Amino acid sequence: MSVLGLFARPETALAAAKALTDAGHAVSLMSPYPIEGAAEALRLPRSPIRRYTLFGGLLGFSCGFGLAVFSATRHLLPTGGRPIIPLPPFLLIGYELTILFGVLATLLGFLICARLPAWRERPYASETAVDKYGVLLECGADGEAEAETRLRAAGAEAIRRGGELMPPEEGT
Amino acid sequence: MTEQGLSHARLNRDVLRTLTETGPVYWWALGLALAVSLVCFFLPWGYQLVAGVGVAGMNRPLVWGMYLSNFIFWIGLSHSGTLLSAVLHITGSPWRRAIYRSAEAMTLFSLMVAVLFVFVHVGRPWNIYWSLPYPNQRELWPNFRSPLLFDVTAITTYLTASFTFLFMGAMPDLAAARDGTTGWRKTLYTWLALGWRGTEREWHHLGWAYTFFAVLIIPLAVSVHSIVSWDFALSTVPGFHQTVFAPYFVVGAIYSGTAGIVTVMFLLRKLYHFEAYITEDHFDKLGRLLLVLSLLWTYINGLELFTGWYSGSSAELETLRYKLTGLYAPLYWAMLLFCAALPLVLTSSRVRHSFRSMLAISVLVNIGMYFERFLIIATSLPRKFLPNTWRDYLPTWVELAILLGSLAIFVSLFLIFVKLVPSLSIYEVKETLPHGKGADGEGPP
Repeated sequence: MSVLGLFARPETALAAAKALTDAGHAVSLMSPYPIEGAAEALRLPRSPIRRYTLFGGLLGFSCGFGLAVFSATRHLLPTGGRPIIPLPPFLLIGYELTILFGVLATLLGFLICARLPAWRERPYASETAVDKYGVLLECGADGEAEAETRLRAAGAEAIRRGGELMPPEEGT
Repeated sequence: MTEQGLSHARLNRDVLRTLTETGPVYWWALGLALAVSLVCFFLPWGYQLVAGVGVAGMNRPLVWGMYLSNFIFWIGLSHSGTLLSAVLHITGSPWRRAIYRSAEAMTLFSLMVAVLFVFVHVGRPWNIYWSLPYPNQRELWPNFRSPLLFDVTAITTYLTASFTFLFMGAMPDLAAARDGTTGWRKTLYTWLALGWRGTEREWHHLGWAYTFFAVLIIPLAVSVHSIVSWDFALSTVPGFHQTVFAPYFVVGAIYSGTAGIVTVMFLLRKLYHFEAYITEDHFDKLGRLLLVLSLLWTYINGLELFTGWYSGSSAELETLRYKLTGLYAPLYWAMLLFCAALPLVLTSSRVRHSFRSMLAISVLVNIGMYFERFLIIATSLPRKFLPNTWRDYLPTWVELAILLGSLAIFVSLFLIFVKLVPSLSIYEVKETLPHGKGADGEGPP
């Protein structure tokens, strides 16, 4: 279960998300654009995507250079005394495939790390793609009321629970 | 709602409106572009497939002709979109945000059109798979020492990387489109957005992935046009065999690509009323870039002439004479006028801030750059080493029609794109909006 609080300003949402994270709650922050400092506030570890890129690049180079060498040695074609395995052109093939595989591995890494694609139903408010900032607080089945109180105390102007956008309370 | 909210909401509305609201001008333009594509590209190509590649003006010694000029031109035009976007992302230039989506789309569609010309040029496109490495019963493999194979590898990589870069950058906006549309569009964007919600985890990893893409794409873009230049420079043909060709092609490609971006930005701004987002400042920055590139291009052109002359080789000197005073000399001098002399007016701030002047300059630069690509082939191959093989090259109506048709295909693809993908990056423009400022009716700073 989870409760989503909608905030009007990014700094309020970020402060709320940070405070709730510091208090030991499982929190997600939704925003229409990346908010500076959000990853640190929510204690996200450094993205492991770089490892995917590195692995893809190394694999690509091996495949590219290996393919060129393999194809040159299947059918020997001596030309003017030049080597059967010339380095400059074959390194070039390796270079291009380094980038190709690096790009594809980065895409794969992003999808895995960001847990996409995810077409299933998940808590979401479409306003967070426009002009609102959402703080999603995970809670137990009987902890929704408490989570809502916490979010309102942190400055949420509206609460979405069970797919319903609840009107803001007076004075909040 | 806050003032900021109004401004952000307006941005969403303005951009999503371009997807959903379609006037008669759009349908006329798309219909015309598709009709010209069919009549000028596919029908002449069909005729060539039936009658044979001899209906084009290519013959010995000109085994390459206008099709490969078109190939280089479209590859070149593709060069600023993704490259410029990647460079400006790495350097953190905020003015990139309003223009990069369309520029990246330009890259993708230019590349697609360029690849089409490989199929047109080879005459028997159903055998194109021979250039791919696959196990076969004859145990024949492509020769990876050939620059043509470098091309296959580089362009495949560039096409894949450009598409991925465009798609990744557009994902948050596809989610915004999912939330702001109905019917078949909602279904389409739901699939394309992959379930994006804009959580800090998604932004965090997108930021890293996007930066890695940018880092990978910059050397890739440079390598692609260097490799295209080696199709020529690794031969011994006078006029082709020059060490300066790789930087010459790369600079020329970025030059024509930047000019292409100016043209596309002008049209987008006018047709979609993006006046608030694509401003004089963008045109000023692009104008400065064009000026620097024109100076670089002019320098390398001078270098090309000088090295040809300084070689003292009679074949090189004859190629130079033919280029400067032969059949295509008017095109050569027009090229210098459009690409070297005319852009000097960009030193004037008034010109850079004038939308119409920038449009005119960008179009003329690309006409000049097309001449450049045409002249590389049409003035070198007719003057190879043996005078008894000398022959002037004249493109036939089939080649000219296919050139026009390729332009129509590019326009068709772009018109379809602007109806399917937000042509302006909503989330990145939002980052430039100051919190609590920018009331409805105002544009971004």
